[in-house]
Amino acid sequence: MKIQAPNYIPITPLIGELHWNLKPSDDLLELQLGWISWLNAELSHEIEEVRQGFSAIGIRWKNEVAQKRFAGNYLNMPIKPYQLSGKIWEVPVCYESNYGTDLGNLALQKHMRVNDLIELHSSTLYRIHFFGFLPGFMYLNGLPEALHTPRKAVPDRSVYPGSVGIGGSQTGIYPMESPGGWHIFGRTPIQLFDPEQDPPVWASIGDQIQFVRISAEEMNDLLENPTLPSSR
Amino acid sequence: MIEQKGHILVLKTGPGTTIQDLGRKNWTKFGIPNSGPCDFISAEWVNHVLRNDGNCAVLEISQPGVKMEFHGSCMIALAGAKASVLLDGEPIPQFQRLVLKNNSVLEVGAMEEGSKVYLGVRGGFQTPLRLGSRSYFQEITPHAFVQKGDQLPYISTHSSFDSGFSVPKWDSTWFQKTALEFYPGPDYQFLSHENREKLLNQEFTVSQFSSRMGTLLTELLENDIPELPTNPVYPGIVQLTSGGKLIVLGRDAQVTGGYPRIMFLTELSQAILAQKRTGQKIRFIKKQP
Repeated sequence: MKIQAPNYIPITPLIGELHWNLKPSDDLLELQLGWISWLNAELSHEIEEVRQGFSAIGIRWKNEVAQKRFAGNYLNMPIKPYQLSGKIWEVPVCYESNYGTDLGNLALQKHMRVNDLIELHSSTLYRIHFFGFLPGFMYLNGLPEALHTPRKAVPDRSVYPGSVGIGGSQTGIYPMESPGGWHIFGRTPIQLFDPEQDPPVWASIGDQIQFVRISAEEMNDLLENPTLPSSR
Repeated sequence: MIEQKGHILVLKTGPGTTIQDLGRKNWTKFGIPNSGPCDFISAEWVNHVLRNDGNCAVLEISQPGVKMEFHGSCMIALAGAKASVLLDGEPIPQFQRLVLKNNSVLEVGAMEEGSKVYLGVRGGFQTPLRLGSRSYFQEITPHAFVQKGDQLPYISTHSSFDSGFSVPKWDSTWFQKTALEFYPGPDYQFLSHENREKLLNQEFTVSQFSSRMGTLLTELLENDIPELPTNPVYPGIVQLTSGGKLIVLGRDAQVTGGYPRIMFLTELSQAILAQKRTGQKIRFIKKQP
């Protein structure tokens, strides 16, 4: 698929962004990653930092001239889409009611059975687009429309680390304790972020995530003997 | 010059005291915020008068009532909010640079103007480096905040370069300005004409909900902008929430966000806002990049 060229919007003298007026998709992600790898290869001496979102790439420049030069000729750059990885991480999730505290209410609200909700959530592949919100939090694309749910009107003051939730059109895992407005489906025993490791996360942008339903016993086993998720 | 290990023993502190150097830059791709001093101007000045490298770690104090004991002589500097300071129980006049003897007790009390005091030590604080920075952050450094009983290490020195030199001049009224300059954010284009007028003509109030993550303003602005995909945000970005609240993102703000990014405060305006207190008024002035 041929994707439209981005706009480059300078925001401050040192910060600007490449922006697409498109919804998140694998095609757009391939192009974003193509841009990021080109920027890193060709302009790293002029760039302080690159940030990625669903439809933009933010660039912090080392000086104003570099941004002006880029804004003037970015459309002529030879950008090739980046081939997304085929790697799928199997992330165990316990959907039992003491972890998936909002599943019951959500099932009532959606006129669905709890098992169907779990089945739908765990049979889908989600693509990792970028990390944000909290250290190690993966922004995932691909939540089935039947599961789209507005965020809670009053956010929870504290959500447990490892909680798996849905909010709006997204699903994700809270890597650490945090306030949060998502509906909690379950919990994973897997650690998502470890500042002692380099990189501090195990997955890469472009990989996919599959949630694998586990029992309360398996959950306890994994909490006692922590591992990383397996991949295929 | 003799150098040995020294440390501050924290005898008392309110919430919100942290160690800050210039923060983390190359880790945002894993969702890790920049961190760094909220008022970088005062933090920079502290390091400048101590002849420190600009990235030396300083103490950021955002509540009065900090009392600490210095184990090991050292030279310190203070800047930022105008606060009453006691040395060994005696009030000392406004100073910038001070040589402390072993076992000195320093107290930072009520802040008359401004809301953040920066305390630096010659050579910088030597708390552990995590992901290239000493800036405190939950789950990255061992502590998120400085607490009573903590020991904050530094390199003890007996050097002084005060004798025979003039006291550096420093104007602390810069943060009394109420006009904050902004560049239009990437989503400014979606604001209605009325909302743009309001932003430029109305006064806004700093609410009590202010932290290193962000500052919530009291006044609302009607938000009729459709939901947007989550995209990069930075310290200084002003988000308009779905409920019409304005949040100015701080140094510890998340690296991406889904609310419309309507304004981007200049670096200077971010530092001015960092020194504002609950209830103080601000205005916005538009600037072109």
